[in-house]
Amino acid sequence: MMPISGQEGRGRRGEWLLTLPSLVWLIVFFLVPTLLVMAIAFKPAEINGGIGQGWTLETWRRLLLPTYPAIIWRTIWLSFLCTVICIVMALPVGYWLARLPSRWRTWALMAIILPFWTNFLIRIFAWKSLLHPEGWIKEGLVWLGLIESQANLLYNSGAILLVLVYTYLPFAILPIYAAAEKFDFGLMDAARDLGASRFLAFRRVFLPGIWRGLWTAVLVVLIPAFGSYAIPDLVGGPTSEMIGNKIAQRVFTERNLPHASGLSAVLALIVLLPVLVSLVARMKEERAGASRKEGRS
Amino acid sequence: MRPSRVPLVVSLLMAVFLYIPIVMLVVQSFNAARFGGHWEGFSFIWYERLLDNRPVWLATRQSLIVAVTSTLFSTVLGTIAAWALHRYRSRLQDAHYLLVYSPLVVPDILMGMSLLLLFVNLGVQLGVGTVMVAHITFCTSYVAFVLLGRLQDFDFSLIDAARDLGAREATIFLKIILPLLGPGILAGALLAFTLSIDDFVITFFVSGPGSSTLPVHVYSMMKHGTPSLINALSVILMTVTFSLVLISQPLLKKHTQ
Amino acid sequence: MRGGEMDAYFCLDGVSKRYGGLAVVDAVTVEVRRGEVFSILGPSGCGKTTLLRMAAGFAEPDGGRIVLEGEDITRVPPNRRRINTIFQNYALFPHMTVWENIAFGLKVAGKGRAEIASSVEAMLELIDLREHAKKKPGAISGGQKQRVAIARALVNRPAVLLLDEPLAALDLKLRQRMLLELDRIHDEVGTTFIYVTHDQSEAMSLSDRIAVMNEGRIEQVGSPVEIYEAPRSSFVAAFIGDTNFICGEVSGFPDKDYCELEVAGLGRFLAYNDKKVPRGESVTLSLRPEKLFLERERGAREGVMNEIRGRVEEIIYLGSQTRYWVRCGEYRLGVLMQHGRFLLDQRPVTWGEEVWVRWHADDGYMLQSYTEADEALLTVSDVESGEAAEEGHDAD
Repeated sequence: MMPISGQEGRGRRGEWLLTLPSLVWLIVFFLVPTLLVMAIAFKPAEINGGIGQGWTLETWRRLLLPTYPAIIWRTIWLSFLCTVICIVMALPVGYWLARLPSRWRTWALMAIILPFWTNFLIRIFAWKSLLHPEGWIKEGLVWLGLIESQANLLYNSGAILLVLVYTYLPFAILPIYAAAEKFDFGLMDAARDLGASRFLAFRRVFLPGIWRGLWTAVLVVLIPAFGSYAIPDLVGGPTSEMIGNKIAQRVFTERNLPHASGLSAVLALIVLLPVLVSLVARMKEERAGASRKEGRS
Repeated sequence: MRPSRVPLVVSLLMAVFLYIPIVMLVVQSFNAARFGGHWEGFSFIWYERLLDNRPVWLATRQSLIVAVTSTLFSTVLGTIAAWALHRYRSRLQDAHYLLVYSPLVVPDILMGMSLLLLFVNLGVQLGVGTVMVAHITFCTSYVAFVLLGRLQDFDFSLIDAARDLGAREATIFLKIILPLLGPGILAGALLAFTLSIDDFVITFFVSGPGSSTLPVHVYSMMKHGTPSLINALSVILMTVTFSLVLISQPLLKKHTQ
Repeated sequence: MRGGEMDAYFCLDGVSKRYGGLAVVDAVTVEVRRGEVFSILGPSGCGKTTLLRMAAGFAEPDGGRIVLEGEDITRVPPNRRRINTIFQNYALFPHMTVWENIAFGLKVAGKGRAEIASSVEAMLELIDLREHAKKKPGAISGGQKQRVAIARALVNRPAVLLLDEPLAALDLKLRQRMLLELDRIHDEVGTTFIYVTHDQSEAMSLSDRIAVMNEGRIEQVGSPVEIYEAPRSSFVAAFIGDTNFICGEVSGFPDKDYCELEVAGLGRFLAYNDKKVPRGESVTLSLRPEKLFLERERGAREGVMNEIRGRVEEIIYLGSQTRYWVRCGEYRLGVLMQHGRFLLDQRPVTWGEEVWVRWHADDGYMLQSYTEADEALLTVSDVESGEAAEEGHDAD
């Protein structure tokens, strides 16, 4: 069916009719609120928790206090680390899955995805128990003589990183697997035939071959990781806060909405670059895919 | 030439890593001890306590109500949006696409925060309604993209054939498009339902007192309650989820055949 | 081509490969001479691809060894053998340009930039793709991809080049051109080629020697002429070109070189007895259609000519030739006649005519083995399959 690019009355009207519901909904409940966040950051806070009249730069002044850059940096750093670890682990797994005979593949995939189907909070809770001073892992490590009994595995950045990786690993595996599945493994044979070692072939032929899946994996881990709230809240300590914690703290504990907005705006800025890149790439891809289908190319 | 063992080894190690917490949860849920750590005997006590726990049941009911409603609305909105996006190419659709795509890439906390601000500004009372609105908002995007993917593979010459045979728009829609897109719509609805049931952060920001969904309730349990109860609850939830997944697999497969 | 070279340059010695309980390659020995074009020809599933993969190092033989220039390379991994492969689908790296694809092997080997540049340029010159050097594989045609694959392999100066059905993905005209290209490249470069294919015309036109393979075993190794004119088995006779099989019993010796064959349902006629078959034994002759002649009148007895009366059952006119199927007794003989001078008022042989089928006794070749199943490889005498008769069938 040829796409109609808004010309005659009937087609045009149809288009508007179909677009309006979702368009309006998303404008009201997504676009406007997002802009609101930016705006409220410039408003004063009222003591009772509401939003005052007029405009002020108070929020932004407060953000320059020394505590914030540390939090922002920690957020970026932990998210980045998490992404790297997830990708490094997901690559061999995706590669292995894609080379499995298809009988086994569905089961292997399900086995990997199954833990993921549990509620996200429950998974965090499980790690909290495991890393608890009286939990399995602590007891096990002490027994092995690797750490002392006073050591604390919980409530620090390490714990946050561990749970972040645990949470986002399946997000990294799926797109890499999807891309690896479409990869022509005959190219690996060709590379080896030309003298490349297994690792070189992996690096020079496989990785470039799945770069789209790789990029998706990066985005799908990095962006949510930036906005982590529950994980640092439950397994992180007061010295390992991320932006998410602070935002929630401002909203629920201190009832300072403008401040929370300011922090949200900062988070939005951090997230902006990868989001924009992915948006543009996505749109280009959609267009290319559509025009290829219609035979123009 | 034997293929390298590295991918297999890493995959196995990773599988162990993924399942340790789950195994622990299951084991501990039968542990009679109050605070884990030591094994004090096999017991169903936590499951019994859970069954008597009224707040958990209320929260579960709330989650289901929200999920069903959100799924309904978001599936309709998302399907229509996907149709429009696929069928038309214009500046309007470009903007439309941007709007539909963005919720997918924005972190939960930003969405929660922005919706909270909206409701506060409009003076809307936080409650079940606001939670539903939030869920519908993000679920719609997911449904739209699932459908968009299915539409790419949709054979539009079938519609031309139907027209050629004299069918009118309504008939085409009901008798051809809907049935063929059925599995896709079902998949989208399933995804929306799952996301809604599972959502914590956004719900946490926009729910008021007394309208806790299950995840929100679990969170407060984690902060204030007995860990052992959560173990048992987790196992129950996992069992339900796994069963649903296992049941739905052959069903979905049959549909797409 | 050197004759009598006992030391093989590249040798597959008693190589076997089993999958499940089945021997896909069964104790195959192939000796390739330096600088020759050696083809392994056989139908799909005969094991030739597996053999090639073992030669390249992608599959490990269950038995036997692989020897290159006297060195046992059976356990050497593919990236360390001085052997390069042209894959059936070319396997060009899609994210690299033509130039980078060709340079890949050299880069991996750690050659210097200057050396890489000059080698790649020389290759581009050889395959005549200088202007396309910066393009990616997605932007060039099938024939061009083929040439890039060749360059990418040859630039590394391998001891042996393996070609896995390289022309299979090309259309007919392109295939013919590429065949000439391959020949030219081989002449210029002189590398030993091992060419695997199911297409006999490719093998025949390109090779110095051919190994005919069937069901995991080599049936015969020889030059194209030897394979065609002196097939050892009914498989080789039927797979390459077309033929008629005639089974008879030796019943007499009119001459020291010839014997008389008694063929049930056909009669008695002379055959050249190069294998010195004794009286009473059965032999099968392979008689190629182009060696048979149709005449309206009985010919004068010149030399050792055989003559049989028959009735024309089927005719396919092919322009330069005509194919006939003639019923002679219980046999249906296929005859291929070339047209020489043609006079417009000439009356061509037509359906149902009674004719004489003649052939020289030397032209029936005695097979060393005959399997009835191989008759299935012969061209079907069906009007619709006229093309099959011309192309030389692909026995798939």
